[in-house]
Amino acid sequence: MTGGRFLVLGAGGLGCPALLGLTAAGARELAVVDCDVVDATNLHRQVLYDLGDVGAPKVEAAARRLRERVPQLRVEPISVRLDERTLSSLLAAQPAGTVVLECSDQPDLKFLVHDGCRAHGLPLVIAGVQRWGGQAMAVRHGAGACFRCVFEEAPPAELAPSCAAVGVLGAAAGALGFMMAHLAVALAEGDDVAGTLVALDLRDLRPQQIRPRQRSGCAGCDPSAVPAPQRPLGPACSTSAGPACSR
Amino acid sequence: MPNVRIPTPLRKYTQGREEVTVAGDTVGSVLDGLEQSYPGIKERICDEAGKVRRFVNVFVGEDDIRFLDNLATAVKTSDEISIVPAIAGG
Repeated sequence: MTGGRFLVLGAGGLGCPALLGLTAAGARELAVVDCDVVDATNLHRQVLYDLGDVGAPKVEAAARRLRERVPQLRVEPISVRLDERTLSSLLAAQPAGTVVLECSDQPDLKFLVHDGCRAHGLPLVIAGVQRWGGQAMAVRHGAGACFRCVFEEAPPAELAPSCAAVGVLGAAAGALGFMMAHLAVALAEGDDVAGTLVALDLRDLRPQQIRPRQRSGCAGCDPSAVPAPQRPLGPACSTSAGPACSR
Repeated sequence: MPNVRIPTPLRKYTQGREEVTVAGDTVGSVLDGLEQSYPGIKERICDEAGKVRRFVNVFVGEDDIRFLDNLATAVKTSDEISIVPAIAGG
């Protein structure tokens, strides 16, 4: 890859490997968004950090590590809590061609980012990981199925178990984070990956590729459909700790 | 009997098994059979009205059942049914 700008929302279990993958692939410019600090209990999957970073803002630690790897890389650390207002401002400020990577652990936020990217004409990769596996999907609005063609809404908090409660295997986050980087680079290069959902489970080692069809009446991409109602953002993965970015 | 791929979040109901075989000639009857063998799993897939939840998707092979006959979609013994829920974590 000969450049490209990527906006990475969340610098946790998915964001760390995604940032490494983008940097190694030759990204020219990265913006990293998170409001959290490095926690020692997450280091098994947040592979950009070490014990010396504990307590530091993730975006600062991530930017420092990435610049050490590639000194000419432009990295913009953005420490902000994402909500409807801050996300809209952030997406509106992105130059054309920016690819967004949704790496947060908030179910509602994932859908909000998806819909915001549609409004601002930005391609994105959206993913989730828990326990042994997860899924990632590349979306270019107007070209094939979108995330809401597959999943019509976010799971409610009571049915979205906490990452802390069920755990996340470090290798699963790593595999899916690098998959996100791969899909994001492919989107930036114009490859035909939009509308593809990849599900991966390290327990049975069987990746699954799904190419969903564009769904008539989809609130995410059908112009004649009623837009999806925006629910207030819930907590991250149904924790009681309040809104978070990428724990 | 059709093979059903169980997603990670639902394997606590199947004693960790990632695939199970369940008798049935439609997706709905397979899900009923799944509930009989693994009580509690169906309510994670379907809502109180019996419809597939909006954050879950069910595929027969590579085909989304919403483009077929939903829960009335016919299945053969050689079919693989995949239950794919939206995964929230990051």
